[in-house]
Amino acid sequence: MSFIPGQPVTAVVLHFQLSCALQQRIEICKLRQGEHLILGFSIGGGIDQDPGQNPFSEDKSDKGIYVTRVTPGGPAEVAGLMMGDKVMQVNGWDMTMVTHDQARKRLTKKNEDIVRLLVTRKSLEQAVRHSMM
Amino acid sequence: MPMDRYADMEDKLRILEDLNMMYIRQIALSLQDSDIQKKIDHEIRMRDGACKLLAACSQRDQALEAAKSLLTCNTRIMAYMSELQRMKEAQVMQRVARRSDGTRSSDAGPMDDRLPCKSKVAISDLRIPLMWKDTEYFKNKGELHRCAVFCLLQVGGEIHDTDMVMVDRTLTDICFDNTIVFSEASPGFELRVELYSCCSEEDYSAGSAPRKLASKLSSSLGRSAGKKLRVAMDPGACSPTSHGGAATLLLPGPAVAGPKYHLLAHTSLSLSHVQDSFRTHDLSISGNEECSYWVPLYGSACCRLAAQPHCMTQQMMSGCLKVKQLGGDPQSWTNVYGVLKGTNLFCYHRQEDMEANVEPAFTIAINKETRIRASEKDPHSKAQSICISNQYGGEEVTHTLSADSREETHRWMEAFWQQFYDMSQWKQCCDDLMKIELPSPRKPAIVTSKQGSLYHEIVIDTSDDISTVTDILTRQMQELELRSQLGTSPPWMSLFEESPGGPRTPRLARHSPRSPHRLPHSPLSSLRCPWPGLLSSDASLTSDSDSPCSTSPCSRHRGWAEPLSLSSPRFRHRGWAEPLSLSSPRFRPRTLSLDAKLSTLRGRGYGGVLQCSCQPPSSSSLAPIPAQCVPQATLSCSSSTSSNSSSEGSHSPSSLDGTPFSRPSSARRSLMNLRAKLDPRNWLQSQV
Repeated sequence: MSFIPGQPVTAVVLHFQLSCALQQRIEICKLRQGEHLILGFSIGGGIDQDPGQNPFSEDKSDKGIYVTRVTPGGPAEVAGLMMGDKVMQVNGWDMTMVTHDQARKRLTKKNEDIVRLLVTRKSLEQAVRHSMM
Repeated sequence: MPMDRYADMEDKLRILEDLNMMYIRQIALSLQDSDIQKKIDHEIRMRDGACKLLAACSQRDQALEAAKSLLTCNTRIMAYMSELQRMKEAQVMQRVARRSDGTRSSDAGPMDDRLPCKSKVAISDLRIPLMWKDTEYFKNKGELHRCAVFCLLQVGGEIHDTDMVMVDRTLTDICFDNTIVFSEASPGFELRVELYSCCSEEDYSAGSAPRKLASKLSSSLGRSAGKKLRVAMDPGACSPTSHGGAATLLLPGPAVAGPKYHLLAHTSLSLSHVQDSFRTHDLSISGNEECSYWVPLYGSACCRLAAQPHCMTQQMMSGCLKVKQLGGDPQSWTNVYGVLKGTNLFCYHRQEDMEANVEPAFTIAINKETRIRASEKDPHSKAQSICISNQYGGEEVTHTLSADSREETHRWMEAFWQQFYDMSQWKQCCDDLMKIELPSPRKPAIVTSKQGSLYHEIVIDTSDDISTVTDILTRQMQELELRSQLGTSPPWMSLFEESPGGPRTPRLARHSPRSPHRLPHSPLSSLRCPWPGLLSSDASLTSDSDSPCSTSPCSRHRGWAEPLSLSSPRFRHRGWAEPLSLSSPRFRPRTLSLDAKLSTLRGRGYGGVLQCSCQPPSSSSLAPIPAQCVPQATLSCSSSTSSNSSSEGSHSPSSLDGTPFSRPSSARRSLMNLRAKLDPRNWLQSQV
């Protein structure tokens, strides 16, 4: 599959890219592995990070938290989280103006078994278009 | 001579102070307001105590705390004084107006105006993100530059301060755990949040203060100098200039030698910022990098500002009523005891039910959508009845209320109007009751281990299942294949190619060319070793030992003289979980993150592992790794750890594979492209 979010596409498609975005609610049940609870994905971003390095964001000044990798078969993938999603909230906690470490901490609270994420995803249409290129 | 002048000036200050106090007392007396007078006296006593403590204490922490109390007391005194001023002025204005009019105009008017109810306002979880420069994280200057910060929160006359927090460059945010509750706030309240900071390394010897004082006092104590003096001596005082001409008169307390807090940032919150969740607000920052008390703020503050208007928490009206639902039997009046609270009118069968906390018989909603009107429709009684209409779903439901007497009905109507007015004033606070958690009794502060930076405390939640590591390594090797296609390979690869025997440097032993092709799977099962490198260099290790690496592998295998100390480095490696996604043809430093992962899993027993990895190999046959390996400050283990490390220790476990690399497919290439962008050196990522 050649779908790579953030990868520049031809100009024609670019216009459609910028307009649509889906908001998804994703509920992930943490998986216990040993003495750790894992979610099965990786995040990048934060207000203390350089937003220009974010390959997933439309706006290169967006300092939000993005999903950079989803472990295959992990709880996040099962719940429907996808690489490139921007995490807006975690269990009601805001994630749009947090440092990287704060974001990580909010996801890895030991007393929470379930995290409910509100994520924004670039539209399905665009994703399909991507995958056909 | 300067000292004489200084003493002179001090005397003058004291006299002015005493005059001040007399003036204030006079005002209070004339206003016959003993309440504020008592508060002022109390604060002055507190201030004296803080001054004495400051003069007496020797420890820096104590001094900082005392200085904080002093600042708070001073601010409170200023607030009370200005309150008194205002009251006095208002009284005078009233008297003047009365005298000129000849009528008692002050009595009329306000009766018609409705006053909104007051509210409890709580601010909690105040968090101020910091933005240190990359270089700050990794400077190894020894002593951390620390600042003591705290927040002063003010609503009207109520001033509260948060606990003091020590800030140094290992902190990413300043978090104040206190919940501060202000009890009587009006809808137009302004919550002023001020962040004060003080460098905690100054020398507060008494010697320096008088000099400063003398130089400042050398200019005459006129209005402008007085203002300057005030600012210099007590920068925390909120603008007394707003009180008009009497500003200079209200001097703050005596100057004390000791730590001085300076205003670093401030912001004002009001009703529009109240919300049941966290919000970010902008901070106005005063001061710049040159100031000693500077802390690099990101520029915003996050907090939860909640309000509980009294109309939502208290019973606004209660009494006996007769209720009938419209459309029902005209005779079906129900006798209830109604309680108006919040957005509901609770109807209990009996008053005792309400006191016993029994569920109400039914509840009528009173909210923004409700329409209430008085009607005379009921022919059976002369009293007016009140009709309450609500929309439930698509249906409109109307209840008719009737009270015992006309006065009662009037009172109920009055209560409903007041409720509507309050709801219109408090807007979003009246949609739902916001929770305010009362501050719990003080818990002892959790002492964070002074092991160093925040990064030490990062626990990377991953399994310690070796198979996960295996997966990662396999992928890693695939990546390496891709990378080689681009034509470059790390210089140390040449070592393998040239001399298969290979110099058995401690580092390279891990990548022993003896088994260049072997995939990591096999050694893992036998070894159960946390070190990724060790996993692959099966031959070397298994030949050396048979026991699993339950002890620190470094000491066993590497024979490094330096003891493994857990105390340093201050900077351990951040928990990247994109550890093995190879980047562009640049060198990828050793999987610091994987090391960190695995070592934290073992409960830091392998803290030494990390250090070892950064140590230079004892033999210098290792080709010097070019500086590319340490491109960003986010990374460099070497720069922060041993200053004697010459090489950057940038082996990646992928180096185990010395075979010629296969061509990547196009899919892999695009994937590789993405992986290139996800280089953790440029952009931090964490696995959760």
